[in-house]
Amino acid sequence: MQDDTRRGLYNTPKEIAEAVVFALPAILFLVCFLLIPIVGTFVSSFYRDVSYLPREFIFFENFRRIATDSTYWRSVYFTVLFVACSVAIEMVIGIIFSLIMHEAFPGRGILRGIILVPWAIPVAVSARVWELIYNFHYGLANYIVTALGIAGSPINWFGNSVGAFFALVITDVWKTAPFVAIIILTGLQAIPEDLYAQAKVDGTQFMQRFWKITLPLLKPVIVVALLFRTIDALRVFDLVYVLTKGGPGGSTTSVSLYAFKTFVAGDFGYGSAISVTLFIIAWLFSILYIKSSRFLEEVK
Amino acid sequence: MNHTIGNRRIIGAVILSLAMCFTSCSRREKVLTFAVGGAPNELDFWEQLCENFQKETGIEVNLIRQPTDTDQRRQGLMVGLRAKKSDPDIFLMDVAWIGQFAASGWLEDLNSLPQSESIEVEKFFPTVVNLAGIYEGKLIALPIYVDGGLLYYRTDLLEKYGFRRPPETWKELIDMSTKVQARERATNPDFWGFVWQGAQYEGLVCNFLEFAVSNNGGLLLEDGKISVNTLENVQALQFMRDLICNYRISPPNTFTEMKEEEVRIFFQQGNALFERNWPYAWGNHQSESSPVKGKVGISPLPSFPGGRKASTLGGWHLGISIFSDSKKEAAQFLKYVTSYGIQKQLALNLGWNPGRVDIYEDPEVLSQLPHLKDLRVVFENAYARPNVPYYTQISEVLQRYINAVLAGKMEPVEALVKSEEEISEVVRNYAR
Repeated sequence: MQDDTRRGLYNTPKEIAEAVVFALPAILFLVCFLLIPIVGTFVSSFYRDVSYLPREFIFFENFRRIATDSTYWRSVYFTVLFVACSVAIEMVIGIIFSLIMHEAFPGRGILRGIILVPWAIPVAVSARVWELIYNFHYGLANYIVTALGIAGSPINWFGNSVGAFFALVITDVWKTAPFVAIIILTGLQAIPEDLYAQAKVDGTQFMQRFWKITLPLLKPVIVVALLFRTIDALRVFDLVYVLTKGGPGGSTTSVSLYAFKTFVAGDFGYGSAISVTLFIIAWLFSILYIKSSRFLEEVK
Repeated sequence: MNHTIGNRRIIGAVILSLAMCFTSCSRREKVLTFAVGGAPNELDFWEQLCENFQKETGIEVNLIRQPTDTDQRRQGLMVGLRAKKSDPDIFLMDVAWIGQFAASGWLEDLNSLPQSESIEVEKFFPTVVNLAGIYEGKLIALPIYVDGGLLYYRTDLLEKYGFRRPPETWKELIDMSTKVQARERATNPDFWGFVWQGAQYEGLVCNFLEFAVSNNGGLLLEDGKISVNTLENVQALQFMRDLICNYRISPPNTFTEMKEEEVRIFFQQGNALFERNWPYAWGNHQSESSPVKGKVGISPLPSFPGGRKASTLGGWHLGISIFSDSKKEAAQFLKYVTSYGIQKQLALNLGWNPGRVDIYEDPEVLSQLPHLKDLRVVFENAYARPNVPYYTQISEVLQRYINAVLAGKMEPVEALVKSEEEISEVVRNYAR
């Protein structure tokens, strides 16, 4: 890699000292706000840490309990399905948005602004807004379906597992597709215009150029966007907490909501163990993405 | 009560609690910290109260403003208590989690405090004190205000359709609802007979227990075993589902969206004949801007034949932290808040139902809040949720299965069989 060229930069003790001083704030920050809490959570997960029971080291007992906890596995199932659906849709819509935002046309600045608005709103606030849209009695969604004659009577959107699931996915897509769009836009801006000019000379169609030039060159940013979105969607909490509270019948309980409920009930050991599993799932996903992007690189 | 979350308030609370952390390092002598949450007008009331207390006693009280949401208030308190921090010294607790706090050893025995004889325990609802305020023989908290489920009804509509009194039994409620709903829909297509809390949260368990106990059911605690799968409970659960799917007098979104505020607003807009809610809704219904002002009555909830009228006990209790470094002052503050004068103010200014029984005989209070007379009976007979430290885990199980029945995903018997299995798992994991 680039190690040998870089190592040459920090030769003298003075230079090394300077490097340490400059890096120290960032390292301290990471240690305080990331490393300590993560290690703390791992340690807690090996204890029975319930506020009203004696604290006791129980090794893997919490994880053994997780293995047979049907509520936990249901929450994993919901969370992974939620990640798969929402991230896939966000990618497609995000790429389309970014292509639109990349074109030069009058009013582009305004359009870029509008597309980004949902991303700027805090999740809890947008969840509240969508709660009103889905409301059975006076929500916009029911107004539209009844006015257009799609449904004879109002629909109880959260009334079954499928409806509640897609209501959550739609809200998440609305909220985070713009984020994907910005990341991909930066990738688009890095593609040299010459490539397109040459391709046009060769007589290619728009879709051909998209598949042969745009998409392959966007791959690095797409992997970044995928990674960010997957990790973010895996810990979905506020959306579910506001919109469904995990209902109906517990079918939309996400892993982090389950961990939260466990913490609130006073069981910090088991809650930590659940969080640790979520950490591991997120970690596996990141490895998968990074490995697959390297693999593709090598194939090329 | 689970009110909706105010995000600004949460952020405010976070900033405030951070600020408290920093200021507490340099705290002076005799400063009490008191943690309390609620609506802005309630917090203003507490602020004023703290000022008055300081004027009378010279003890400064720092108010920690908590959010309205009960889970977040609980979590906020737990962070400090787990770290054995000396503040807050004194705080309010929901009756649903007071058991956990007591079992964790976080609450001071009020009888062990200096001048404890002047705390007038006997003036409070004995049932409430026995069910929630006393834990393993120790007095750990006093009820600042009490809550119980009530039936609100539209006096004008009952009269219009020739009914002389509110329903005594669930069957009467169905008959009245069916008739009124059918006729009223001619002018208001979104009119429903009976609204109650069916979303998957703590309020659902409170509602379920009322239906169940009014059928002589409920949660049975015996020798560390909790049984819920009884014929009475199955019937009650089937009835809840029938209200939505069979009698169709409760709207389909009962089990998805209906929490206290949703129910209150729906009824207040004039869209329902009956409403199950806590006493706080009364003040809202009678406010100037309410479309149903002057057209609302309250009564105990109906029962099944042979059952008793049941109301789930709610409310908030005041307790003192075992880690407090100013217990003497905290006890003084507790005495102040539970005094006749302040409890009366709570009723008059906030419309709350005081924990002290003697307020319910005060002529001034009764002339302003005549309904308190009826509420007294309700509170005296309220049904308490099991006062065990792992109640929240039990409730989580029940919420999930009862909600699944209402959603039509499961039959009542199956749901209660599975609940009982999971609850015994909870007991295995958490009982001492």
